[in-house]
Amino acid sequence: MKLAEGWVPVALSSSIEAGTSAGAVVEGQEIVVWRDNSGKAHVWEDRCPHRGMRMSFGFVRGDHIACLYHGWQYDTAGQCRYIPAHPNLDVPQTIKIPTYRTEERYGIIWTTSSADAALPAIAGTEDAAPVRSVYIDCPPEAVLPALGEYSAAGANAGIVSVNGDRLLVAMQSISPAKSALHVLLLEGSGTQKSYARWAQDLRFVLEQPAPAVAEVA
Amino acid sequence: MAGLVLYNYELDENSYRVRLFLAMLGLEWKTIAVDMFPGREQTKPEMLARTPLGTMPVVEDGGLTLFGTGAILAYLAKAYDTAGTWLPDEPSAFGEVMKWLGFSETALAPAVSARLQALFDTPGDEKALQAEARRAFRVMDDHMTARQIDGSEWFAGSGPTLADLALFPSFALSRDFGVDHDEFPALRRWIRRFRALPAFHTMPGIPDYH
Repeated sequence: MKLAEGWVPVALSSSIEAGTSAGAVVEGQEIVVWRDNSGKAHVWEDRCPHRGMRMSFGFVRGDHIACLYHGWQYDTAGQCRYIPAHPNLDVPQTIKIPTYRTEERYGIIWTTSSADAALPAIAGTEDAAPVRSVYIDCPPEAVLPALGEYSAAGANAGIVSVNGDRLLVAMQSISPAKSALHVLLLEGSGTQKSYARWAQDLRFVLEQPAPAVAEVA
Repeated sequence: MAGLVLYNYELDENSYRVRLFLAMLGLEWKTIAVDMFPGREQTKPEMLARTPLGTMPVVEDGGLTLFGTGAILAYLAKAYDTAGTWLPDEPSAFGEVMKWLGFSETALAPAVSARLQALFDTPGDEKALQAEARRAFRVMDDHMTARQIDGSEWFAGSGPTLADLALFPSFALSRDFGVDHDEFPALRRWIRRFRALPAFHTMPGIPDYH
């Protein structure tokens, strides 16, 4: 799913600490996911308007994110507020980074550039415990069939049952050959650690080369 | 000759490993600059007398001459880490640290090569080196994912050890050779904690958040 088509899961909430940033890619589109010091998450286009540097290489100071190249600082609305080389400049309103709608739900950071998309409603997620995000070199459409007993809760998330335990799995399409899964444990007797291993094993299976198709004589 | 001497090249990540550890141990040392690029000084007789394979860095201490990053780090820990936390004596803790110290010298060798190739055009298959480095980072991220679920922030034991110190530079420098940090959330968390250690300092390629 593209950012314009609906809400895309881009990180576990627990993976983006306050005062940090990370890069992510959704169907080829580079984004920066960052959390200000007050704890609010933001998702923007990953590009400083000055020289095109990725903002995810930068650093967070209070409620500003700064570009690594020349220290240009942006507020939570994406508006540039400070240019170190011109400390007395009243920064023009036109220097602004495109921002995307951002919501945190079920322990996941979701984002979209669509104005009217609705977040998937998923019941029974009150006690969701983060397991891990796993990045897999496989086409997004190959993931679903490998998840086993899966019940969809929206276009890119669903509940997977493993040995009677319930996992929330949210899927991020990175490129035609790369996918990410954000996994949380909803309820069950297995541990977060055992499901971190489960996700790792799933990656192994999905990255096996496709078996050669036997030629029919 | 008395005192610690480091034969150093500023952009060499193995020299950085040793500089970092010397600083974290609170030691004083004398630096002798070796022109690795473009001079290739480490491959000429004067340096080969100290490091026969031409590897960098080299440390001299009294009458002792050491090459090999892991050996240098282990020696410095034994000689100068009076608290014994960087390379613990207790056998299983020692084993855990040595496992990752070995990993840094073997599994991360392609990361070191990939970076030299990207920066200095040294020989090597760029794509293959990059893929091998990424594979090593995955092993590290899988390990730290499990560790962090258990409430641990370090590769081995309850505090920073030579494992963390030896693994840190390759991941922190990975953007030099085109491997981003997007896919390694557990390692992002870990390097943030490593950077907060006393006497931590950066090298070119590792951003200094001013």
